[in-house]
Amino acid sequence: MGKKQLISKSLTTISNMGAWLLIIVIILIMSIVRPDTFLTAANLINVPRQVAVVSIIALGASFVVLGGEIDLSTGMASTFAGCNAALMVTRMGMNTYAAILVAVLVGSIIGTLTGCIVTYLKIPAFIGSLGVQYVIQGLILITTNSMPINGLPENFLFLGRGYLADVIPVPVVIMAILFVIGAVLLRYTTFGRSVIAVGENQEAAKLSGLNVNRTKVLIFTIGGFCAALAGVVQAARLSSGQPGSGADLALQALAAVYIGGTFKGSMLNTLAGALAWGLVNNSLNLLGVNAHWQKVALGAIIIVAVLFDIARAKISTSQSSNS
Amino acid sequence: MQETPEILKLTNVNKSFPGVKALTDVHFSLRKGEIHALVGENGAGKSTLMKILSGAYKKDSGTIAFDGHEVEITSPKFSEKLGISIIYQELNLINRMTVAENVFLGRYPKKNGLIQWRQLNKDAEALFESFGIDMDVKAMLRSISIAQQQIVEIIKAVSINAKVVIMDEPTSSLTSRETEVLFRIMRTLKDRGIAVIFITHRLDEIFATCDRMTILRDGCYVGTREVSGITKDEMISMMIGRELTQQYPARDVALGDTVLEVKNLSDHSGRVKNVSFSARSGEVLGFAGLVGAGRTETMRLLFGCDPKSSGEIFIDGKAVSIAHPRDAITNRIGFVTENRKEEGLFLRSSVRTNTVMVAMEKILRFKLFLDFNKERSVAEEYVHMLKTATPSVNQPVMFLSGGNQQKVVLAKWLFSDSRIVILDEPTRGIDVGAKREIYEIINKLAADGKVIIVVSSEMEEIMGISDRIVVMHEGRIAGEVDKEHFSQSLITEYAVGGA
Repeated sequence: MGKKQLISKSLTTISNMGAWLLIIVIILIMSIVRPDTFLTAANLINVPRQVAVVSIIALGASFVVLGGEIDLSTGMASTFAGCNAALMVTRMGMNTYAAILVAVLVGSIIGTLTGCIVTYLKIPAFIGSLGVQYVIQGLILITTNSMPINGLPENFLFLGRGYLADVIPVPVVIMAILFVIGAVLLRYTTFGRSVIAVGENQEAAKLSGLNVNRTKVLIFTIGGFCAALAGVVQAARLSSGQPGSGADLALQALAAVYIGGTFKGSMLNTLAGALAWGLVNNSLNLLGVNAHWQKVALGAIIIVAVLFDIARAKISTSQSSNS
Repeated sequence: MQETPEILKLTNVNKSFPGVKALTDVHFSLRKGEIHALVGENGAGKSTLMKILSGAYKKDSGTIAFDGHEVEITSPKFSEKLGISIIYQELNLINRMTVAENVFLGRYPKKNGLIQWRQLNKDAEALFESFGIDMDVKAMLRSISIAQQQIVEIIKAVSINAKVVIMDEPTSSLTSRETEVLFRIMRTLKDRGIAVIFITHRLDEIFATCDRMTILRDGCYVGTREVSGITKDEMISMMIGRELTQQYPARDVALGDTVLEVKNLSDHSGRVKNVSFSARSGEVLGFAGLVGAGRTETMRLLFGCDPKSSGEIFIDGKAVSIAHPRDAITNRIGFVTENRKEEGLFLRSSVRTNTVMVAMEKILRFKLFLDFNKERSVAEEYVHMLKTATPSVNQPVMFLSGGNQQKVVLAKWLFSDSRIVILDEPTRGIDVGAKREIYEIINKLAADGKVIIVVSSEMEEIMGISDRIVVMHEGRIAGEVDKEHFSQSLITEYAVGGA
């Protein structure tokens, strides 16, 4: 009996760890296989820096997914914001921070519009946000003439390339601050509860007096806000507004959400998902795996991670019903 | 009276579910070419019996003989192979296909692996014609009315070489014209020697179509009668004839002032027509009626779930506007819905999360952050008060039993300070012991001066716990009965639109 309890307890612990377990496994393996290149401070700081953009988008996407919806337009929304900010600074001579503020505001409005399309026009989120994605892509090509926007000032670049105290990359700081806010919003506010409630059972949420429509629109607003902010960081990292840079970002962010298994209701799982994603990328690079095969491996990992999640859910279900 | 051979004979069939004996020594015999009504109150065991015949449930004991041979119906497939065809109330058709495609789904005529569309349509036309039904078989299913779709479903079911056709309340969504068509189909089947089991609440329909009837009550076999030799009154007394048991805890509450007044409530779809009633503080007001009489719809209107077409609601004499559940909650109304899993609970969330869901603002710190300590103590308080059996308040509610889940729903409304509590079928799917606990909670709430509205299809229950009963029939209030005049036959008569 004692042994059984021990097993079930450790299973529960493991199942609660989610993507953190994946991270530990990767670190362990890589420390053995490539101790010289992997376990260096430079490399270990590089990973969060590389995933910062994706994980900020993923933070917003987590709210959308938790609310039972999906947003495919976040990648383009982030590129749009990066290009907009760059345009305003370089062509219109706007103050960097004012430009960023406007760009992020526009991103939030785009998210809100997507939310309204899904909520009030009752168009399924998948197809509605796909449409929005193409509209934004078109707008990007129109406004930028599909040319990169160079010549960003130093204070703009600092957001993507700078370091705090000479060690911590600024994008990682931004990411950390946003995750703290996101985690508090989800866990400690009635809004966060509403998101989970609406995602779980919309009818019950309505009958419990929750404002279902407002919640649904707001999750898209947050998605747009985070995407836009990530886009600004991305532009700063690339030293330019790159019209073609966001094609894959929305899907990478969703991959991070699913690998993380945010459904446990903790925003930190998304962070773990994004970090795991970055670690896998990093490890495959260090192992010298060809870039084409890396895609194959990453795709397989998404599927395996979700499979693992389903298995965990089954284990915890059978445990609780036994008790 | 000449004896026709029996196609189906059930002897001493028993079936139990955890905590509930659903069928006790039930007999049922069906002759070839007869239309046989199966009647009984809700919960009498009709659907359980039919599900045993369809292979959805397995009987615990007893024998089933089909066409003279004893059989074990182990699966729906086997039941179908025997020639038992069931028509459920819900439609199992595909909207984006034509009528003909729906009828022959999965058995299209083929030549060299290719579907013969012309043949398909011709076969379908011939099939409908053989029942004397005029139907455009090339019409898309979604373009025809629900009632016509129901006819398609029936024709589909009987076209599969059926020897026994079971119809589970097929007329509930039919207009009188389509009901006539249905009766014609039933008579055509009868002429072909096919036996029909007809489940219905409408007693008039039994007299119009059936040869014999079998009555079930509380999972027990009451008897089988020739329809020609029975009166409506006899039928009703056979359906309900029993004494109230001491299941219902006594309540001694002085009624207070009128709190809730509803005037001329109607909806857009015609399922609620001009409903008016009032309720006093400390009163338990029961709503009786048949399934589909409009009771749930009335409660949904009152709670602001669906739009009203007319009607006013007064609380403490003041007119209130309720257009959304939020408005109802602001006016301190709570609604324990009929489907707790679909509409009442967040199954994956914990007991504590569910408990505070309606009134989260009551556990905020600095008006902004949820106070988890307070949340836990609140949830624990209600677990204690309602005697909810759960290992902890962190347990996801999906792991609780039906009765305990219902208590979590109740806790949710109690924590939000509801003064008017609507309970729709509060004891459905709950075992006997937990039922009594729910009744005790109802009494306690009444004693606290709350207004309790209970919708229930169980006659005994509604008479056992109500101070007054409003009976609905086809969207209208058919009658109102005070406690001293409670009688099952009176209520049943109102419910079937007889009085």
